Amino acid sequence: MTGLRVSTQRLVHIYRSEGHEVAALSGVDLDVAAGEMVGLLGPSGAGKSTLLSLLAGVFRPSAGKVFVGPVELSAASPRQLDELRALEVSLMLQGAGRNLLPYFTPYENVRFAQGAARAAGKQLLEPAEVLGSVGLVAEAHRPLGELSPGHLQLAALAVAMAPQPGLLLADEPTSQLEHRARDLVLERMATLNRELGTTVVLVTHDPDVAAFLPRTITIRDGRVGGEGRSGEEYAVVTPDGFLPLPLHVREDLLPGTLVRFHLVDGSYVLIPEATDPEEGAADE
Amino acid sequence: MRRWRYRPLQAAAVAALAALITACAAFAPLYYRAMQQSLAEITLDNAPVIGNSLQLTSVPAAGSAEVASVEDIASSVPSGVRDDFRPPILGYTAASAIAPGGPDLPAGDLIWRGGACRHLTFEAGGCPSGPGEIAVSQADVDNFGYDVGSTVKVLGAPTGEAADPPAVALEVVGVYRQRPGDYWLGQTLTGRSGTISPGPPSFLQHDTWITDRETVDGAESQLLVTSSTAGYLLDRDGVGVDELLDLGPAITALHAPGADSADLRVVSGLPELADDVQHQIDQSRVTVPLLLAQLCLLVLVVLWLVLLAMTEQRRPEVALARLHGRGRRGARALLLVELLPITLVSVVPGAVLALLAAWFARAVVLPGEPPFEIGWPFLVAVALSAVVLAVLTVVAVGRVVREPVERLLRRVPPRRTGWSLGVGEALVIAGAGGIVIVFATGGLDGPSALAAPGLLAIVVGLVLAHLTTPTAALVGRRELRRGRVRSGVSVLDAARSPATSRIVAMVTLAAALAVFSADALAVGDRNRTSAAEQEAGAARVADVSGADLTGLRAALDEVDPDGRRVTPVVEILPGSSDAAGTLAVLPESFQRIALFPGGGPSAAQWDRLRAPRTAPIELTGTQLSLDLVDSTLVSERVDGTTTSVTVGVDLVDASGQPLHDSLGKLSGPTQRQRLTRPVDCADGCKLVGIWIGTLPSATVTGSATLQHVTTQPSGDSVAVGPPARWRAFEGEDGNAIEATGGSADSLTVRVDGEGAALLTLQQTWIPTVVPTLVAGALPPDSSGGSYTFAGLDGQAQDARRVGTIDRVPASPANTYVANLETLQRGRAAVSTDRFQVWFADDDPALLARVTKSLEKRGLGVIGSRTLGDVRRGFDESAAAWSLQLAVLVGVAALLIGALVLVVSAVSTWRMRARDLAALRMSGVSARATRSMAVTAQLPALAVGIVAGSLAGLAGAQLALPIVPLFTEDPEVSTLDLSTAWPAVVAATVAVVVVLGLTSLLIGRALAARADLRRLRETL
Repeated sequence: MTGLRVSTQRLVHIYRSEGHEVAALSGVDLDVAAGEMVGLLGPSGAGKSTLLSLLAGVFRPSAGKVFVGPVELSAASPRQLDELRALEVSLMLQGAGRNLLPYFTPYENVRFAQGAARAAGKQLLEPAEVLGSVGLVAEAHRPLGELSPGHLQLAALAVAMAPQPGLLLADEPTSQLEHRARDLVLERMATLNRELGTTVVLVTHDPDVAAFLPRTITIRDGRVGGEGRSGEEYAVVTPDGFLPLPLHVREDLLPGTLVRFHLVDGSYVLIPEATDPEEGAADE
Repeated sequence: MRRWRYRPLQAAAVAALAALITACAAFAPLYYRAMQQSLAEITLDNAPVIGNSLQLTSVPAAGSAEVASVEDIASSVPSGVRDDFRPPILGYTAASAIAPGGPDLPAGDLIWRGGACRHLTFEAGGCPSGPGEIAVSQADVDNFGYDVGSTVKVLGAPTGEAADPPAVALEVVGVYRQRPGDYWLGQTLTGRSGTISPGPPSFLQHDTWITDRETVDGAESQLLVTSSTAGYLLDRDGVGVDELLDLGPAITALHAPGADSADLRVVSGLPELADDVQHQIDQSRVTVPLLLAQLCLLVLVVLWLVLLAMTEQRRPEVALARLHGRGRRGARALLLVELLPITLVSVVPGAVLALLAAWFARAVVLPGEPPFEIGWPFLVAVALSAVVLAVLTVVAVGRVVREPVERLLRRVPPRRTGWSLGVGEALVIAGAGGIVIVFATGGLDGPSALAAPGLLAIVVGLVLAHLTTPTAALVGRRELRRGRVRSGVSVLDAARSPATSRIVAMVTLAAALAVFSADALAVGDRNRTSAAEQEAGAARVADVSGADLTGLRAALDEVDPDGRRVTPVVEILPGSSDAAGTLAVLPESFQRIALFPGGGPSAAQWDRLRAPRTAPIELTGTQLSLDLVDSTLVSERVDGTTTSVTVGVDLVDASGQPLHDSLGKLSGPTQRQRLTRPVDCADGCKLVGIWIGTLPSATVTGSATLQHVTTQPSGDSVAVGPPARWRAFEGEDGNAIEATGGSADSLTVRVDGEGAALLTLQQTWIPTVVPTLVAGALPPDSSGGSYTFAGLDGQAQDARRVGTIDRVPASPANTYVANLETLQRGRAAVSTDRFQVWFADDDPALLARVTKSLEKRGLGVIGSRTLGDVRRGFDESAAAWSLQLAVLVGVAALLIGALVLVVSAVSTWRMRARDLAALRMSGVSARATRSMAVTAQLPALAVGIVAGSLAGLAGAQLALPIVPLFTEDPEVSTLDLSTAWPAVVAATVAVVVVLGLTSLLIGRALAARADLRRLRETL
């Protein structure tokens, strides 16, 4: 199994409700390589979960394109979407309970999640193996009501991984967990990503989780506001040349401020207009 | 199974509702069938044997002396018809006139009946077993000396050769007594011995004689056989309603021209009985569906809403299935696997429930012993229920499954919160409302009309449910703005919950059905009571033989001097069929004892019937004497010659018989003349008139004073004055008589006769015009309320309407009521008057005392009927039994309403408990959250109950006119379809108590689960 590449182009999504329109995403360009593990960061209401839903094909974008592997989701038929969900894309909803059928055991939930993929002829691991991969062997046949929150989240992860998808989308998978359980879940996700090659995109606003991830993408005001790699924060230039400023910079550069870019020793230096022009000229 | 165990209450609720739907659908045909069987059984039981048997009789055809053989007659009945009867009772009847014949010698019938000896008791001798042997009645032995061993000779059949018929000798071998029983097919063998036949020709009769077959059908028989018969008694064990309904036309076909040979007569009441049963079955086709269809409608709607609630609760599971790529089909399968088995499996307990209910109805509600039948209608109903349940489940599941994943993922389903209607709701409301309007305006009847009350409740419920959410939101926000946090939060909670609008709709429907059922049941009961009271007249009415009205009154006075428990009533029959009869009553006791459904005449109206207040002039003795003083009375013939004047009195004896006695004649004017005559007044008389008579066409003029009126032997004076006690008469032809003077003891009479033979001065105690209360119309020849009717004595009597009443108890629609006291003055009853005793209660001891008292006076009770008897007749009908279903429907509606609340709570309790726990987390006290939990559904409940009760009332007004309350409408209608308020109020209170208590318990249970740990729940 190989992971799926995910990309979006000028992705726009607008919520319409009782005559009101709210733009959740206003042109998101994103590219996640196959087998990559990426975190979507950002404040509440930034559009992280909306983006995740668009990647899962739950929403259709108002504009722009979403590619999951070779499939352009906005043009996919309902049947194609069902097939994609059955075989290639798993979505972990926020809250472990929402990912599990409450009357089933973890084992049965995994088996249920594999049903469509098996029906399509996909060769899959046995449910017990899937549960073993997340460390839930002992709890495989216990009622969900008897499981701890951490185990429930692992069960949800096992369910998400049951069809061995190429893309795992997880919405706040650790939000209600204590530190130990959180770390355990993240570790299992990373292991699966590493061992199975599944592309993982997860939404979080937990800095500790973000720090765990090799790559993070910050969504701000419906756009890609920055990117972190190995602990370093970067601003991302959009395909049409826009450059969103990091938050701490925005505090200094108020809207309307004029800036200039100077190439200094191979690096660009940003100079606000308020600086002495003559000094600037001399520098030039 | 595990899925069911996870939500056991939901599964139980759906199972209960599905079972109820099946039970409703399956119970209807079972009850309907059991009711038909009961109806057939009761109808056959109540019919006389002549009505529920088949008798074929062959008489000699014109020009023939032969009758068909009994075997031929018996076989003329088609075998399919014969199967419903026991083996035929065959018989021949021969004439048996004692030779040589004549009116002084007894004649009668000699019969042979197959197996007759088993139905006779022999007082002497034995049963005839050979030719020429007969058995006679004891009366014939007593009257004619036909002892055992004696021989009688009867006239045989005339033969062509001899002028006189031969004499046939018969030997008496036994004296029989007839044992009553159906075997005799209504034929009475005795009671005629020694009596004269009504004729013509009239002749002395003997009772029916019994003989052997050989006597009448043997080769040597010389008797004149007058008929042969085959009697079929119904096989009651094998004849149910189907057989009875088939027998009707089959027997009618035997009657039909062409099927009925000239000498074969068919007698049976079965076609009429079959028609009656069919008529009642047709009636029940209205009521049974009217009630059960609406219950089914209620349960269907409840189940639909419960399924919607349950499928909505499973939205996350559907979303999960979709996210796992199972598609809509897979998601549908996920829900159907859970829900469909519950609904379908519940068909079995539903069917069992229907069977149990039918068994209960058969054992407790319905009379007789109807067979317990599980026919194809029951199976079809069960199968149909299963199909409907499956369709309902699939549609409810499909509704959720069709939603896009993005909507399924929302925790609270998106709902319309504004005032506008959804397309589905609008269609249902418009459709149901349209049907109700068309029905209300008279444009709809038949089966579609039966659901009108239910549809009306649906319209009201849906509209209210739709208005509930936005209204509650408005109210809740206003409460919060005013600082009323608790009530504001409660109302907003209700507005937010999708269960609220469902509760409004369902409680409206349940309350409507409960109220409608209670009203229908009570209206039916009230109308049967009223009709029974109208038909019976009183708690008991006994018919009295004889025409002695005075004796009747005396007998009743002896038993009940105050007239509080019994009262005499005389029914004066009309002279012609199109005229009205008169009910003569004693107003004071009659108004206490008679039953007036819907209210009787007022006290003022009764008072207007009062007799003239003048006291009667009473006298007792065997001789009456008076002095005629200062008489100037003279009479002249047409030719001028004088003639004598007769003076006399009109008396009424103690029994009410009028006496017209002449006291003496005056040949001319006289100073004083003593007149004395015997009178038949030993037991007392009333002096009601003084008359002056002469020859027809002669004139009579003058005056005279009556003094010293005395009776002998007592010598008592009779106070004939003063003049005011006497009514003057002045005819248009100049004839006049008046009292012109006098004192208490004397009376001066002046007369001016211009050709009248008799002029009477009437005592004012005698009424001139009888005041009456009139129900219906006056006779065509009446004038301004005055009319003439036949009085107690059958003679014309002037009457005047002093009031109108709606109806007279136990009387036709057109009847007059008069004061018996008034009618009795001066008149005696005749044999055509019917005497009755009306009782205030049906105490048999009272009847016995009255009977005894009457018998002492030569009167007797010849029969009586009670209100209970009459009521039973109305109650034992398909119309009444059908309406009894209203009890079931009302109770079921109530229970379903409570179930709705439970289901609603079960499907939303986690969310609501979390909300309440969150409130506690934010500092709201446990007591306050408990109060919120308890009161949250109360507004919806209150709205539903009020609206439902009103819708039920309106539905009753719409539907009750088409509900048959009686098998046949009573001749005098007491129909009253007005709302039965006590029943309606009781039903509403029951709804309030049951649903209110359920809601209270649910609220408390919810509050108990709203602890803070609830907030940590992840599942």
